[in-house]
Amino acid sequence: MAKLQEEIADAFLEKLEESPDLTPEMIEGLRKLFSAKKKLKADDLVKVFSPPAGGDVK
Amino acid sequence: MIKLESVHIEWARGIAQKLDLDFQQKTFAISGPNGSGKSAVIDTIEFALTGQIGRLAGIGTKGLSVTEHGPHVDKAKFPDAAFVELRLFIPELGKSATITRKFKSPNKPKIEPADDDVKAALAEVADHPEITLSRRDIIRFILVEPSKRSEEIQSLLKLDEIGETRSALNTAQNRLQNSHRAATAQAISDSDALRRHLQVKTLSAEELLAAVNERRKVLDLAELGGLTPETSLDAGLSEAATASEFNKESALRDLKALTEAAQGLADICATEAGKIVADLGKLEADPALLAALQRRFFIEKGLELVDGPECPLCDTPWDDEEQLRNHLQAKLAKSEEARAIRDSLRTNGAAISDALIRIVGLIGPVHKLATVEEHTGFAEGLVAWKSDLDELKPKLDTVDGLTGLKNRLTGDWVQAPGALSADLDGLTEKVKAKPDQTAALNAQTFLTKAQVRLGDYRTALRQEKLAEAAAASAKAAYDTYCSVFETALNTLYEEVQDDFSTFYRELNRDDETKFTAKFTPSESKLDLDVNFYGRGLFPPGAYHSEGHQDGMGVCLYLALMKRLFGDRFSLALLDDVVMSVDSDHRYEFCKLLKKHFPETQFIITTHDRLWAEQMKSAGLVTSKTSVAFHSWTIDTGPLVESNKEIWNEIDDALAKGKVEVAAAALRHHLEYVSRHLADELGASPQFRADGNYEMGELLPSVLARMHKLLGKAADAAQSWGDKAKREATAARRKALSESKGAAAVEQWAVNKAVHYNEWANFGKKDFEPVVAAFKDLLDQFRCETCDAWVYVTPRRGNSESLRCSCDAISLNLKQKPK
Repeated sequence: MAKLQEEIADAFLEKLEESPDLTPEMIEGLRKLFSAKKKLKADDLVKVFSPPAGGDVK
Repeated sequence: MIKLESVHIEWARGIAQKLDLDFQQKTFAISGPNGSGKSAVIDTIEFALTGQIGRLAGIGTKGLSVTEHGPHVDKAKFPDAAFVELRLFIPELGKSATITRKFKSPNKPKIEPADDDVKAALAEVADHPEITLSRRDIIRFILVEPSKRSEEIQSLLKLDEIGETRSALNTAQNRLQNSHRAATAQAISDSDALRRHLQVKTLSAEELLAAVNERRKVLDLAELGGLTPETSLDAGLSEAATASEFNKESALRDLKALTEAAQGLADICATEAGKIVADLGKLEADPALLAALQRRFFIEKGLELVDGPECPLCDTPWDDEEQLRNHLQAKLAKSEEARAIRDSLRTNGAAISDALIRIVGLIGPVHKLATVEEHTGFAEGLVAWKSDLDELKPKLDTVDGLTGLKNRLTGDWVQAPGALSADLDGLTEKVKAKPDQTAALNAQTFLTKAQVRLGDYRTALRQEKLAEAAAASAKAAYDTYCSVFETALNTLYEEVQDDFSTFYRELNRDDETKFTAKFTPSESKLDLDVNFYGRGLFPPGAYHSEGHQDGMGVCLYLALMKRLFGDRFSLALLDDVVMSVDSDHRYEFCKLLKKHFPETQFIITTHDRLWAEQMKSAGLVTSKTSVAFHSWTIDTGPLVESNKEIWNEIDDALAKGKVEVAAAALRHHLEYVSRHLADELGASPQFRADGNYEMGELLPSVLARMHKLLGKAADAAQSWGDKAKREATAARRKALSESKGAAAVEQWAVNKAVHYNEWANFGKKDFEPVVAAFKDLLDQFRCETCDAWVYVTPRRGNSESLRCSCDAISLNLKQKPK
């Protein structure tokens, strides 16, 4: 049986794919963080959510 | 998960020397009076599996540690001698393994074979100390306030990890929202600067292009037809022409803007600054609140840094990381008022920060102007002021920073240069005194500056949009996680609620067949209400008895473990639980375990020997999968009383000439067996309301009852025409009579030996016949095949059968109907 937190992480990532606010790169970044089996750190999450400067936004 | 095969314990907790138990991967019962060493076995198994002992952690255990207090007291200074060796089986791998853990180094178990899959399986077990349940744990689930229950259950189910993930997502969301807010303030500031220069009300393409094309026309440059991200307002100007961006009119507008702002600096964000000062005042007035806030910040930081059993704040070693986390979380929970003040400080600090960005935006153009116009002192003053405000900005984001700013915020926190107004006036006059620029130069510098400010604004807009997108992504992720978490939690509670109700109904099938329970989860608490005999839902402690509450605790534990491990729930250590549950319900408890958890190995301790025997009668354990401790001494540890070994113990004592030891052991054993058999056979001693029966009262009634039952069995066999059975039963009855006679004459000797300290009058030869007589007598009540005591079914009403656990003895007591 998958641990509850793994079930929640899987459902979370699956649901995020429907969200218009997150790019596939962000979801992949989150997937890596969640699968690393380490405690999530806010700094790492901020990096995932921050698109590179000079990206697609004009 | 795992099943236990055997354990070898040396010098651990209350176990002196060594102790070996053979669990055989089966449910196992350990019984014995209080203080006989049962819990030491549970402690040491828990230690072998997890490196920790729950009893030495939590409330009231300050100063206790596994390393120091895990070993037997005589080995406290020699912890090397204290260790546990646990042999176990891992069903998923089909492998047996041994884990040996020393108290000297609890975090470095020796695992054999040291295969990666074995290590991974044992690491998973080590991560689940909840396989151990004691009565104090039961109370944690049932008789606690809803917020505490929520914490306990979420901790049991490892939901604290999920809470930490949620917290990290929330922190990231807050940080990115702050970044977005700052980027927005910067964009507004740059927008103001551009509009001020263009002298337009809005930055619509129409207004902007009209202002720009008016100057381009002066220079005979082509009008711009539209505004795109690539549009350059000074397109067509030569490089030399763009070298200067001094535009007299624009410079005067910049000076005017800062001059006007300077007039209102004293009042800017005065309300917010006042609130900050008030909040800081509250903290100063209440040192405990301030300490809570400081600790909160400190602890929040510490929690972020926890990565092992050593405290990142003070390097204190803990038994494990979870204990450390729980300790820090408990401290956080105590500082909610401090949290509210912190949030207020942050909100008002953010408002001042936004205002500060706008002021800095006004300083920049004027500083450039002062430098160009060689107002050196003023320029240096503006640099110092801007630098001061830039340094101020990060301090406004934190409580510590704001605390250091209290005095400043009490008064003129902007701290503009003292001569600001005069210097602005002077510079304004100097600029005004400059000859008016030619229309061409005016247009040229206007376009150059407009392009610079448009560039700044575009950069700020891009930053703002990036920050907005990042904040939106973080918020979406946080909201989604909360939603998924809540859904999962509600589903979990529904499942647990159903299983809990089912288990409890089965445990109390005689009187609570309509029992239901309802969990009501909310943000931070979990209400539990249970149906009280159809009269409605109430908290468990409202009307139910202590025994029922104990039952509820175990049922809830089992439901939670089922949800946590599913089919992999293979081991649980139940330390003296269900002790308040009466004997009839304990049979149902055995049935419950057998029915719903057939693949789970329970290691059950109890101080009630009757309950231990009931487990045997119910088929939950056998004589081979149970052990009784009859007493404990500090030098020997638990003294094992097994049906076979008791006689060896007595023989050993006699061989050493210690008649008093042999007599005490025999009497103790007889007391226990008499009580057990009286219950199992339904003997009728003289009733005593206090339940205190002497052996001299119980044993005769047991013998009489057995004699009668065997007579009934013989009569029944006769009625059914079963001659062989009748003869066998008659022979058993005769043997009983003979044994009874032999033993009865010696009873006085046992009593006397124990009560009257007349050991000196007994020699080995005197006592040996006593032992032999009672051993022979008790053998009449035991099955030779399964070694279990006989019992009568049903327990209430007319007796129908006399039998043993394996049915090798199965005597019908009902006569053939006439």
